[in-house]
Amino acid sequence: MAAFSPFDIVDIQARPNRLVAQALSCLLFLICIGLYMQTSINRHKENPEDRVTPNATQLANGIHASVFEPAEEDDYIPADDASKWERFKHSMIVKDTVSSGRRFLISLALLIPAVVLALHIGLFPWFGAGFLRFVLFFDKIVALSLLPILFIVFGIDEWSKIALIVIGVAPTMILDVTQMVKAVPQEQIVKAFTLDANNFDVAYRVVFRQVLPQVINSLRLNLKPMMLFLFAGEMIAASDGLAYRIAIMRRHMGMDVILPYVLWVAFLLFAIDLSLRLLNRRMHPWFQA
Amino acid sequence: MVSGVSAPVKVANETGTVVAMPSPAATSIHVDGVSMCYPLAKKKQRTVLENISLEIEDGEFVVLLGETGCGKSTLLRMILGQERPTSGKVYVSGKAVERVDARSGYVPQKYSLFPDRTVLDNLTMGPETSKYHILGRLMPGFRSFRKQVRKEAMRQLEHMGLRPTDAGKYPHQLSGGMQQRVAIAQALMMKNRVLLMDEAFSALDPATRASLQRLLKTVWNESKPTIVFVTHNTAEALYLGTRLIVLARSSHEDHCGSKVALDMKLPGNEAGMSLKKNGQEFLDLVDYVERFSRGNRHDDQALDESAVDGEEEAV
Amino acid sequence: MRDTQASKSRSLLYAAAAFLLLATCVSSQAKADVPTFTVGWSVYAGWNPYFYMQKSGILKKWADKYGIAIKVQRFDYAASLDAFVAKNIDACTMTNMEAFDLPAAAGVDSTAIIVGDYSNGNDAIIVRNGLTFDKLPGQKIMLVQKTVSEYLLERGMVLNGQQANLSKLKLINTSDSDIVAAFMNNKSNPVVVTWKPLVSQILADKSVHSIFDSSKIPGEILDLLVVRTEVLNRPDGSGQKFAKAVSGAWYETVAQLAAGQANAIKYSAGASGDSVESYKEQLKTTSLFATPKSAADFTTSPTIKQKMDLVRQFCFAHGLLGQGIKSADDVAIIYPDGSIQGKKDRVRLRFNATYMQAAQQGKL
Repeated sequence: MAAFSPFDIVDIQARPNRLVAQALSCLLFLICIGLYMQTSINRHKENPEDRVTPNATQLANGIHASVFEPAEEDDYIPADDASKWERFKHSMIVKDTVSSGRRFLISLALLIPAVVLALHIGLFPWFGAGFLRFVLFFDKIVALSLLPILFIVFGIDEWSKIALIVIGVAPTMILDVTQMVKAVPQEQIVKAFTLDANNFDVAYRVVFRQVLPQVINSLRLNLKPMMLFLFAGEMIAASDGLAYRIAIMRRHMGMDVILPYVLWVAFLLFAIDLSLRLLNRRMHPWFQA
Repeated sequence: MVSGVSAPVKVANETGTVVAMPSPAATSIHVDGVSMCYPLAKKKQRTVLENISLEIEDGEFVVLLGETGCGKSTLLRMILGQERPTSGKVYVSGKAVERVDARSGYVPQKYSLFPDRTVLDNLTMGPETSKYHILGRLMPGFRSFRKQVRKEAMRQLEHMGLRPTDAGKYPHQLSGGMQQRVAIAQALMMKNRVLLMDEAFSALDPATRASLQRLLKTVWNESKPTIVFVTHNTAEALYLGTRLIVLARSSHEDHCGSKVALDMKLPGNEAGMSLKKNGQEFLDLVDYVERFSRGNRHDDQALDESAVDGEEEAV
Repeated sequence: MRDTQASKSRSLLYAAAAFLLLATCVSSQAKADVPTFTVGWSVYAGWNPYFYMQKSGILKKWADKYGIAIKVQRFDYAASLDAFVAKNIDACTMTNMEAFDLPAAAGVDSTAIIVGDYSNGNDAIIVRNGLTFDKLPGQKIMLVQKTVSEYLLERGMVLNGQQANLSKLKLINTSDSDIVAAFMNNKSNPVVVTWKPLVSQILADKSVHSIFDSSKIPGEILDLLVVRTEVLNRPDGSGQKFAKAVSGAWYETVAQLAAGQANAIKYSAGASGDSVESYKEQLKTTSLFATPKSAADFTTSPTIKQKMDLVRQFCFAHGLLGQGIKSADDVAIIYPDGSIQGKKDRVRLRFNATYMQAAQQGKL
């Protein structure tokens, strides 16, 4: 490799060495960690009990508390000889993940009828006439501002949070999928009819199968808005959940617990996204890009 | 219309083959006084097809020829049922066409195969869906039926010149020519008597195109289905068809739609016509036909262009 | 001709810009000479007077007297505490509980220089269907968790002999911005704990009633003005000047308020967007230390130690002091008489009556 010149940075045809490129991709992470440590050390010099930027020991304690200690509001008191697994099972992070995860999965399941509706809107002219304009309008509604109405209709328990997620994400998803359905070439639909398919064969066995990989990709993009709405809901009224814990901890600046929680949520989202991507690739080998 | 009727007789004499006019009794496709108008802005409308009537007999290989925008594809889509004529009616196998159904097979230029299915699944899809609809697939007889259809599909596949190893491939793994072979096979699996092809070979390179033309000719010779083949390539039309219909408009005004400019019988033997075989006679015929497709307007530039076009693409 | 005109006007523009820049430099230079302090406050009956104090010019008068500048900034309550802990503001209004569990527990040495009032009915537990304390366990209770609301609930349970049932309460953490709608619209949620003016909004519905309020625990929920100790002890003495100026301005303001001066009440009510009637109603349940004497007396009395002990034990029991703190004594409090609650080497919160006493003696 030729010697590196500074102009290579703005060279589209540059061919960086693989090792160097790998190292470079880690650089920003290292800088972030470094800056955090720098701030933390400075703040601790000034105030040894600083909580805004917890140091390694504080973080370790926070992680230990979230992973091996039961939540404060729980009745469970671990026996002295309780195994790590036993403690982990009753820890607050497990409890919070389970309850947030349940809300998340139910909302995800409720998006399936939304996708089916979108399929019908995009394909069946009568459905399009009936729903499209309303969904277009509804999509522009800021779901959070409807909260008082959601409380009246769904109560303040689980369903209002789930409704918040679904109302927040479903219209966008429906419009997106409708576009995909409309983008399926007319030839395909005509061809299917000449092969003696009926309307539902065309809808579910031709069009739906073809847009499914795109639907999954659209879902992947919507994971973050979903989590955002879930967090908003849990911060407004909840008695458990990941965002509930963050809201409670924020009240006394428990950044030592909040930071691990934030990273855990990021990891969960990443994992869901990755598994959806792999699933997509496995299920739809014919799908390109 | 008058010239359209008189032309076939004349040409038939020239090529030395005498063919009788089709008798209405044996018609497979009957186009009855069909017009097509699209609304434009400000209450204007554009007429694409103007009062077209055709009788297509069972077993005819009809080639619809015309310049781009003359409405030949629109006519095909009306026979298919995808578009509804503004006035007039279309009948296929004696019944009026209201919507797309399994009376006709269809091979478009692009997107002719389902990208999410393997070649084999593309072939079996027709028989499967026509016998078992979406929930019928859960019925007990389905599996054995599927086995049988698969066997037949493999036969059809080999007949179309594909290797058995291609059966498991997805359409995107095949070349354009292979895809169209599979598309034809897919339509043939339905065993319907009418096959509609819309510029089916237009996107292919000349060599592939020639081999597909030969394939199609063979297929037609074997079972003699009724084929309506839309193309803008005169050489292709002369090689394939037993009957040639040229659509053209007499002027470019919006209110003036295309009419049948020429309707003639071709020799339609097993070999078909080509430059190699028929020599000067073929070139004369190309020239003659193209004069009609330009709507008898003697536009020098257009003439030069299409003449070159025809020579290049002639097989 | 046009060109020269354009260039002329452009150069004029440059000159104006340069002048402006210079002017701001000079003025900021001039400002930099005067020590500037920022006080953060949030909406609450006992703190709204800070708005009037600034608006009426009382604060500026006192600041000028001590040769300093004081800025007053309104925050959301939680945000004001964050800003205080992050050292973005020098002084902040907060309750005794938050003073203990936030800045103090986070290692920010803090001093309460003004004890403004205590909640005397501002915070309340409201129930439907005539529920009583012995029926609360198992019911869903909406409140902002880990705040004085939860403290009030616990104190109510204890004072009504339900201490054993504390762990059976089902708390639902509900944001204060939505708590009224969430309670009013769901008949299945029978209990809510919150503060005024939200309490007044809820009690407007005649089918619910309050079973306990802060007037039953007088002096336990205190509203303070807290200054960072390092600011107070600045070597140039400006921190002291700041404390004196704010104290002087505060008692002048409160005196006007107590005398019922129309403007004082109107602007204080306007600070939270309340009507004058509503604000007066809130003041009734706010026990304002209207004179420096009453405030100083309370701060130097033994009572405050008992009350603070209850609060700090609550904070520790609920983990509000953070993971690292193993005992309530780890965050010690020092009182005006020099007595210390907790470990002597870990004093974090200081009650300082000096400035209230100075105001009482007219020495400001």
